[in-house]
Amino acid sequence: MLAIIRPDNWNFPLFLHVLGATLVTGATAAAFITALSSRRWPWMRLVMARTLLLATFPAWILMRLAGAWIESREDISGSPGWLGVGFIVGDGGLLLLVVAMILGAVGVRRPQRNWPVGAVAVLTGVYFVALIVAMVAMTGKPGS
Amino acid sequence: MDRYHWLLVFHMAGAFLVLGAAMLAGIFNVAAMRRERPSEVVVLYRLTQIAVRSITIGLVVALAFGIWLVADLDFVKWSNAWVIIALILWVVASALGGIGGRREEETRRFAEKLAAEGDAPSTELRARLRYPVTLALSWGSGLVVVAILAIMIWKPGH
Repeated sequence: MLAIIRPDNWNFPLFLHVLGATLVTGATAAAFITALSSRRWPWMRLVMARTLLLATFPAWILMRLAGAWIESREDISGSPGWLGVGFIVGDGGLLLLVVAMILGAVGVRRPQRNWPVGAVAVLTGVYFVALIVAMVAMTGKPGS
Repeated sequence: MDRYHWLLVFHMAGAFLVLGAAMLAGIFNVAAMRRERPSEVVVLYRLTQIAVRSITIGLVVALAFGIWLVADLDFVKWSNAWVIIALILWVVASALGGIGGRREEETRRFAEKLAAEGDAPSTELRARLRYPVTLALSWGSGLVVVAILAIMIWKPGH
């Protein structure tokens, strides 16, 4: 049960937002695992780069656009902390993901360099934790 | 946060674990289909095991805290259609995922055997990775979980 009762016209954007959030979390975890694994199996770099470009980024777009859609329908008074966390993780995540995608591409094109893939592991690990924090904040809505 | 919100956080954490791990499994599954060497398929299938265990834990956590929420809230009844449908779909998703998972386990063992015998690309392994029934079971399980998410949000009949 995701929330109690809400107007019907909130349901579809909320569904897309939650679905996008779960998918971006899973895809970020996949990018993190493949980045770590690519130290032992170099061919994993391509899987990592494709995951970031074809799974994590599209899922982020779904989460963020659906989040903006639901926010335009809800009449949220003030600036509650849980919403601020959502915005920081959502919008800040774009920067992290763009940098991770660029470094992932560098890691594929320059196989002799290990630091870009290590940096992708750090960025995706940080973003994964941030997504979990956002999930707790947006579900529990502490302080509201 | 009050008790309702704490229960909701854990219920959602379970849902996140299931759907996020399903995405993880899907990514490794697609990646395995694109690899030729059996040893590479084995690596991806072993990583998929992390996702499978997470899905199992997530299903149990989401169910346990969902049941607690139903028991705790006055205006949600066990007889509500959306509660019953969600529980039925939970069983369906678990069954489909379980059967599909066993088939993929057999494919992993076959890939391990090929990897130990020279690691040459195999047309049979390629066919097993793309076997439509196995893919339908595993991906179908994921789609049923998405349907549960939709039911949780729309709550038909409430």
